Amino acid sequence: MDRVRRLKLLLWMPVGLGFAVTVDRFFFGLGAATHLSDATPWGLWIGFDVMSGVALAAGGFVLTATVYIFRLERFHSIVRPAVLTAFLGYVAVVAGLLFDLGLPWHIWHLIIYWNPHSPLFEVGWCVMLYLTVLTLEFFPVPAEDVSSLARVRRFLVKMRIPLVILGIALSTLHQSSLGSLFLIMPYRLYPLWYSPILPVLFFISAIALGLMMAIFESHFTAYFYRRKPETAVLASLASAARWVLILYLVVRFSDLAARGQLHDLVGSAWQVKMFWFEIVVAGLLPVVLFSISKFNRRPGWQWGTAAVGVGGIVLDRVNVGGLIDLSRGAALYLPSWQEIVTSLAIVAGAVLVFLFIIEHFRVWEERPVDPKADPKRLPELNPVGETWLGAPVIAARIKYSLAFVLAAALAFSFLANPKVEATGIVPVPAHRARGDVGKLPGISSRVSFNSSLTPSPSPASGRGGTAKRWVRAKRQKATAIPAGVLYLDGDLTGWGVTFYHQREVERNGGEKSCAICHHMNMPHDQNSGCYECHRDMYQPTDAFRHNWHASRSGANLACIQCHEAGYPRTSAQVKPCTDCHKDMIPPGATIQVSSENLVDASGEIRRLITPGSVVKINTYTAVSYVDAMHELCVGCHAQVAEREKKPEVAQCAECHKGKLNYSDTVNLLYQRTAVAGRRVVMPPPPASPGGAAMKP
Amino acid sequence: MKTAILTDTTKCIGCHLCVEACKEVNHLPNDMPRRWDMRDGLSADNWTAVIRRDDDKFVRKQCRHCLEPACVASCPVAALHKTNLGPVVYDKTRCIGCRYCMMACPYGIPRYQWDSTVPYIQKCVLCYDTRLKHGREPACTEICPTKATIFGDRDKLLGEAHQRIRQNPGKYIHRVWGEHELGGTSVLYISDVDLSFLTYGARFGEKPLPVATRPAMEAVPFTFLGVAMAMAGLRWIIGRRDKVQREEGSQEPEE
Amino acid sequence: MCRERISRSRSGTVETVAFTSLRLKRRFDTEAWIEFGRGPLFRLCFALLVLGLIRILALTWAGIFDVYRHSPDKILPWKEITKKTLAWLIPVRKLWTARPVYSAISFLFHLGLILTPLFLASHNLLWQKGVGFSLPSLPQRVANILTLLVVGAALSIFFGRVLYPAARAISRAQDYLWPLLLAVPFATGYVASNPVISPRTYELMMLLHVYAGDLILVMIPFTKLAHCVLAPLSQLVTHLAWKFPAGAGDRVAETLGYAAMPTWLPQARLRARPEAPNPEQGQVIQK
Repeated sequence: MDRVRRLKLLLWMPVGLGFAVTVDRFFFGLGAATHLSDATPWGLWIGFDVMSGVALAAGGFVLTATVYIFRLERFHSIVRPAVLTAFLGYVAVVAGLLFDLGLPWHIWHLIIYWNPHSPLFEVGWCVMLYLTVLTLEFFPVPAEDVSSLARVRRFLVKMRIPLVILGIALSTLHQSSLGSLFLIMPYRLYPLWYSPILPVLFFISAIALGLMMAIFESHFTAYFYRRKPETAVLASLASAARWVLILYLVVRFSDLAARGQLHDLVGSAWQVKMFWFEIVVAGLLPVVLFSISKFNRRPGWQWGTAAVGVGGIVLDRVNVGGLIDLSRGAALYLPSWQEIVTSLAIVAGAVLVFLFIIEHFRVWEERPVDPKADPKRLPELNPVGETWLGAPVIAARIKYSLAFVLAAALAFSFLANPKVEATGIVPVPAHRARGDVGKLPGISSRVSFNSSLTPSPSPASGRGGTAKRWVRAKRQKATAIPAGVLYLDGDLTGWGVTFYHQREVERNGGEKSCAICHHMNMPHDQNSGCYECHRDMYQPTDAFRHNWHASRSGANLACIQCHEAGYPRTSAQVKPCTDCHKDMIPPGATIQVSSENLVDASGEIRRLITPGSVVKINTYTAVSYVDAMHELCVGCHAQVAEREKKPEVAQCAECHKGKLNYSDTVNLLYQRTAVAGRRVVMPPPPASPGGAAMKP
Repeated sequence: MKTAILTDTTKCIGCHLCVEACKEVNHLPNDMPRRWDMRDGLSADNWTAVIRRDDDKFVRKQCRHCLEPACVASCPVAALHKTNLGPVVYDKTRCIGCRYCMMACPYGIPRYQWDSTVPYIQKCVLCYDTRLKHGREPACTEICPTKATIFGDRDKLLGEAHQRIRQNPGKYIHRVWGEHELGGTSVLYISDVDLSFLTYGARFGEKPLPVATRPAMEAVPFTFLGVAMAMAGLRWIIGRRDKVQREEGSQEPEE
Repeated sequence: MCRERISRSRSGTVETVAFTSLRLKRRFDTEAWIEFGRGPLFRLCFALLVLGLIRILALTWAGIFDVYRHSPDKILPWKEITKKTLAWLIPVRKLWTARPVYSAISFLFHLGLILTPLFLASHNLLWQKGVGFSLPSLPQRVANILTLLVVGAALSIFFGRVLYPAARAISRAQDYLWPLLLAVPFATGYVASNPVISPRTYELMMLLHVYAGDLILVMIPFTKLAHCVLAPLSQLVTHLAWKFPAGAGDRVAETLGYAAMPTWLPQARLRARPEAPNPEQGQVIQK
């Protein structure tokens, strides 16, 4: 049992890693956890977990056929482990499928929505039915210990032969249908793999794989439980596997010859090399090694050869399932570490369950005995953890769970932030500060302040869905923004800054203070909002608004009023802005700043600039909203902090006080999708629908 | 009536109005380039795209609405189906997210919402629910300022396409893309450049793709019954043989 | 960054608007280490904290069931256990015990220890950035007060342990360590978020804050700090220990000369007989 305990400790680690990835995959979607893409929608999870999983479980139907159909009773001792392997294999397949499906909670739709033309529909049904058959086939084993289930057990034992036949028929169907899946995509698969008889090839290789898996699994348990390996029985299985593999190779190459693809066998493409590697590992090597009787008599060689063959055919499935799907050449798919870890975790989990069942039920003639499991043994103090390690069960519990926790935590630390998945720049439009500056002291009525542009809230009647009611409740709890205060929250996340506009105006001297913060150089607009030019939260934007100048509700200019007629309408062939905006300072100009023009209503002049310095207007590119706000506030605050000897004034938390629950914020959070982006307004539908609409 | 779209790439000026109209009508959000994009302009939030080729020709890409679609044949829960009017539409309440349609589509059209926790397949549905059903043409053809992409009956559009090629023999390549290949499509192209780059393989035959799967699928019931009967028969025969052998073996020493 | 801004505005030009970082490549890049500490390392430690606590809780429950299953005497005073557990969990009641000062300090210590890291606005901002959701935030002023309370309480507890011989007698090395270690992230965090105190040491304070925090997180499930989830089980474990093996408690009582007395009598009734031993002295020390 020492070996198996070490093995279990090892197996708990991938399970732990897989746990972390599971959380990642189901919280953040397939894109966060996999390297799948629109070009390669299927990958390792389909190729390995599903297609190889089904093939690896082929031992169940092959051995039940051997024993119950061909009546070769000397293989009887390995039927139960083979059926158990098949059962757990299919459970693992379903688990892997749940990871891969985008909407795994819809998996039952296969039962109610039918499309009999789809090979996947057939595979799905066969897997479901065969899993049921396997459950019924294996159920008598755990039921042996429960006396109340004796009648069910007797019935199932009587039903064994029909069940076996049903299982074989279903297996034949879906083992081959996994190949049929790819018949519809001749342009995706590399020609060395695509073949009209792919279903036949899949079925033959599945039989070989089932035989080799039975050998592998028998040696595996024999090694870890220190049992005597059944080398003689397995040798005849190996010899059968050899003949099936030879058949497979013959069919595969004659198919290539029949399709005239033999010339593809030589070449420098990596797919060709992969093909030969696959043929050697999945076919030639096992055939040769199984044929040499000297090797075939030794358990180690037998085990190793079976492992090589199993690996080769699994590679074939992975190749067909996605790895060689590169005919587009646009994107190279290599599985992400999360995909690999999840696959390992599913396998490890299945092996752990397998070992558990072997230890607790009569899968073998005898049950494995743990020589260390002595109930009279006294616990011993583990000096490292100051823990009492008692019976092996308790010690194992402590160790396995620790391995699981450590592995899971390690995987969590490697999970990247899924928000940083975009390869491009995400535009984050900046929005108007909310709130009402109210009536300001010392400001003449010439300047009109807009009240907040908060969209009117949805009708506050008692009806509405849960979400609406929740929003309403939230809004009722939220406080309104007080008068004279602006809430600066450009990206509408709620994490904004409360800006006491009225207080700042009072402090800085009434009407004349506007130009301290505001540019005051937008034509016909004395109180332009910052967001109008600084239009993106994080990127610089053009202060010139083409759409506004051209639109009917804006300046309403025709194209030729700015662009010279007869020339391409580009930014090169355009009138300078100063032609119309006479008081505007053109890009490239320099201004000598004196104390008088500090409050001039034109130009880039603010108190931040020391009188006497020279300002150069470079471009009319507006820095990002965040940069603009920080420059405006932090610059001033830093000066005040230095002047007044109050360092806390320049502290981040002085303004950023966390998420504030203002009622206007709540309103806008649910409407932010509607504000962004350029929109085309479709013309209204014709008065009489029908008739004329379907014009040729 | 089988509706279709005819796109004449020589008339396209690359204004992207069709793309924006599509977004407007189908309520698609502004998207951003992501890791899983195919770099052809299509994505889960862009159902049509205008590809600007290196030679400054514009080609609009969208779902081809095949007459015998591979995606429809492959979907295990029949979430995709070909309507009588022509569009291939998607019922997201049925979808299980297996992405077999994406694998099967020879044009690489269906896209997936990889970044979503509840992801769906996204593709052009020819404005079926929003406009076509109500007797209006798709948004993209209605908005097109140069009528580079037009909507109508498939047979009439085919006639129109052939007429244009006949009238300007030097201007077009003498082929209507979508007329025959893979059983024909509802989105037709005439062009002055080779449009094979829109598809996976340049060597498309005229046989629809679902035909390749059909023999395998038709063999299913026969295989099932055949294997079951063969297994039952084999068991009986071998059992009988063993019994005879045993009887002979037990009789021999007696004699 | 602040210093850079001031110097820029003094020079009198607005041409260099770009936010270029002029930080030189130093041998020890403090900011990179802070980023590591609150990125991958924090995820590791936090996952270890959550999973480790779940593990220790599950192991404890498994142990409890094991003991209960093997115990021949399965009659447990469930009502009494529930009452006692609840009584221990309600801090108000704890204030009126024999040591009101210590209890009050301990209560404040625990209060700040739990509330401040969870509801601090700056921490919430990080949660918001990382996973997209966060808890409500405490006002900065309240958080500041709580932080100072924790630091003060931790120091009081430490000196209490050192100064009182009775406390010293039952203290292990880690008992001295914990109040001090727990105070480190609070003290450094306070200094870092209030640059009035020491503006030049921000990076160092942040580094200490992040790494001390990570260290504490990772140690919670494996040390006596696991009492944050195990505390509600202590009464149950005590009573099970008293019952297992069968009749153990009765034998102890017999030896002490109180054979007829039930072992689960409330403390008040025990105190009525001053010579009676406190049965809780037999309790297993939870680690």
